[in-house]
Amino acid sequence: MGIISTLSLSLVITTLAIIEFRNLKYSAYAYCLQAILMCSIFFIFAGENPNLYYWLTTAIITKVIIIPTLLLRYIKKTVLQEIPPPIGYILSTLIACIIMIVFYNITHTNVNFIAPDIKATMEPFRTNLAVSFTIFVLGLYCILIRRDAIKTVHGLCILENGVHLSLVSLAPTLAETAIIGIVTDVVIAVYLLLYVIYGIYREFGSTDTYQLKNLRW
Amino acid sequence: MPEVTSSYCFLIFAVPAFASLLILMFGRTILFRELLALIGMFATFIISIKVFLETQSKVLTAFNAHLRMDSLSGLVCFLISLIGITVIIYSFKYIQREKSDKKIKSFYWQVMIFLSTMLFATATNNIIMLWVIIEATTLASAILVAFYWNRDALEASYKYLMLLTVGISFALFGSVLLYSGTAPYASGRDPLQITVIASVAKAGLIPKNIILLAVSFLIVGFGTKAGIAPFHPWLPDAHAEAPAPISALLSGVMIKVGIYALVRTIAMFYSSFSIISLFIVILGIFTMIIGAFMMFVQEDLKRFLAYSSVSQMGYIVMGFGLCGITAGGDGAYLGMYGSLFHFVNHSIIKALLFLCAGAIAYRTGIRRIYELGGLRAKMPVTAFCFFVAGLAISGIPFLNGFMSKFTLFLAGAETPGMMWTTVIAIICSIVTLAGFVYVSYKIFMGPPGDKLKDLNITEVPVSMWAPMLLLCLLCFLLGIYPQLVYPVLDKATNVILVNIGNL
Repeated sequence: MGIISTLSLSLVITTLAIIEFRNLKYSAYAYCLQAILMCSIFFIFAGENPNLYYWLTTAIITKVIIIPTLLLRYIKKTVLQEIPPPIGYILSTLIACIIMIVFYNITHTNVNFIAPDIKATMEPFRTNLAVSFTIFVLGLYCILIRRDAIKTVHGLCILENGVHLSLVSLAPTLAETAIIGIVTDVVIAVYLLLYVIYGIYREFGSTDTYQLKNLRW
Repeated sequence: MPEVTSSYCFLIFAVPAFASLLILMFGRTILFRELLALIGMFATFIISIKVFLETQSKVLTAFNAHLRMDSLSGLVCFLISLIGITVIIYSFKYIQREKSDKKIKSFYWQVMIFLSTMLFATATNNIIMLWVIIEATTLASAILVAFYWNRDALEASYKYLMLLTVGISFALFGSVLLYSGTAPYASGRDPLQITVIASVAKAGLIPKNIILLAVSFLIVGFGTKAGIAPFHPWLPDAHAEAPAPISALLSGVMIKVGIYALVRTIAMFYSSFSIISLFIVILGIFTMIIGAFMMFVQEDLKRFLAYSSVSQMGYIVMGFGLCGITAGGDGAYLGMYGSLFHFVNHSIIKALLFLCAGAIAYRTGIRRIYELGGLRAKMPVTAFCFFVAGLAISGIPFLNGFMSKFTLFLAGAETPGMMWTTVIAIICSIVTLAGFVYVSYKIFMGPPGDKLKDLNITEVPVSMWAPMLLLCLLCFLLGIYPQLVYPVLDKATNVILVNIGNL
């Protein structure tokens, strides 16, 4: 009980770190750390539900190893420092914290609305659901507010982590083929995005999404 | 209908995937690439005809009903392979322009895998696999959208990938919620299967809050894929910057696959919440208006066509919504029937229009409407096809668009309290007509622009105009003999209406 709360809190903090670090490399490391924390949550829940070991294995392979490697490889090919977002450190962190607190409270108190059965409204599933929805929204925030294309990919990864974390409470018995399908899609999406962003970097000279303004209306 | 186990459910997407693999391995020379793509697509086409015919009288299943094809799947998969084969034939000359052999090879293997994922989407009965494969259609086409690898294409591809991946993540939430809401009541059956979810939903066992949440997530997720406003901004960019054959596939079938997924997953909840269908009607009307009016500010021919696609998706979505407003009424049947009919017609017409736009770009290299002009005498076949398609999409009688649009107008009129949808739909049709008359006049009749005067323009090669003419003939055929497709559409409509509880 206690350990799950601690892990969930650290998940949210690593999410903030991924969003706020201006050095993309550190963001990628923070992502890797978040993935490890997520895997430990899977591990704890797997004690109750052995099917989650599939999730654990696929998550270790993809989230801890493949995605950070991809991110680091493409960060090395492009620029290390993020293009500054339109809002500064303090304001950005503040907004993220407000989103975090408000959203966590809403989902935690209204968990009956999303929980498919009684079991999911109990602790620790309740905290788990609230945290995963919060992480999802923080990922969305990161994608919307950031200028740097690679940072938006970080945001996408956070968002996907949020969805995948919720599966622990919502669908612990999901078949392994479905899990592998979901995870493969995410890895390929991240790879293709980085590949296209690298093309953008070569063509435009930077990864600033504000330059992508040719196509309007 | 009797369910029979059939390997066709598997072959329908395995054959193009295998062809793609072969092209990837051996596609170094022209002969192998194009021949393999043609043979693979032809085989797929034959299989899809077989599936189409078989599904008229029975339901095909495979892998413990994880793959399941009923008459609706049969219709959609036939449509995909029909557009697929015309596009492949059209591409031979169109893509040959590209100097690098490596790029041509990548084009063919990616097109085949793209078609394979779309066909898979029609065959699957597993809700998570449906999500996976809808996302896979995005991934398979992302590099095709960026095919020219210039600034605009890269920007379009980035937006395409980012918006669709984020949007579709919502649908994963929705799918998982449906799965977990069904699981306690599945009683031994597999809650991953859409048919099982539908039967549990029909019994009214899934909690209401789960339904509401899941449906809104699914509308955002699959709606993004289908190009429903306000989730449509990726659509004009991707459609305009992709090579013409890919635009034809994106607009002709890929956005339809999004609608197909939406229909499959949320139609079963109409009976529990009538508000869902009203919401979908409003979304459809909104999409229709946005698309129709945004068409007019476009200078680029392909963007013009893309916004027209947005508008036409509005009609399809509106019809789909109308079928849930009154259970059992005439309006319900007409709504779904008209929606599916327009689904088929729009695939044919929009693929044709994009192929015409490609033909114009192939000969002139120009996409801006005001720089074009006077092409009628020089490109008679293209001009004819464009005129026919433009009139068909605006709903002129004796062409296929009229039949489906008229059915949708009737559906609005027959549904109590929904007359306003018919009025708005008719206004949008007139706006579309005005837009297409203006654009066709400008491109084919008006005085040629400065850039065109020095060019020696001739008709495109036969391998490009023949597929266009084929689609053009289909426009006439379905417009003059709409009873030809009546039994097919009737069966497909009933597949959905059974879920709603109308029958």
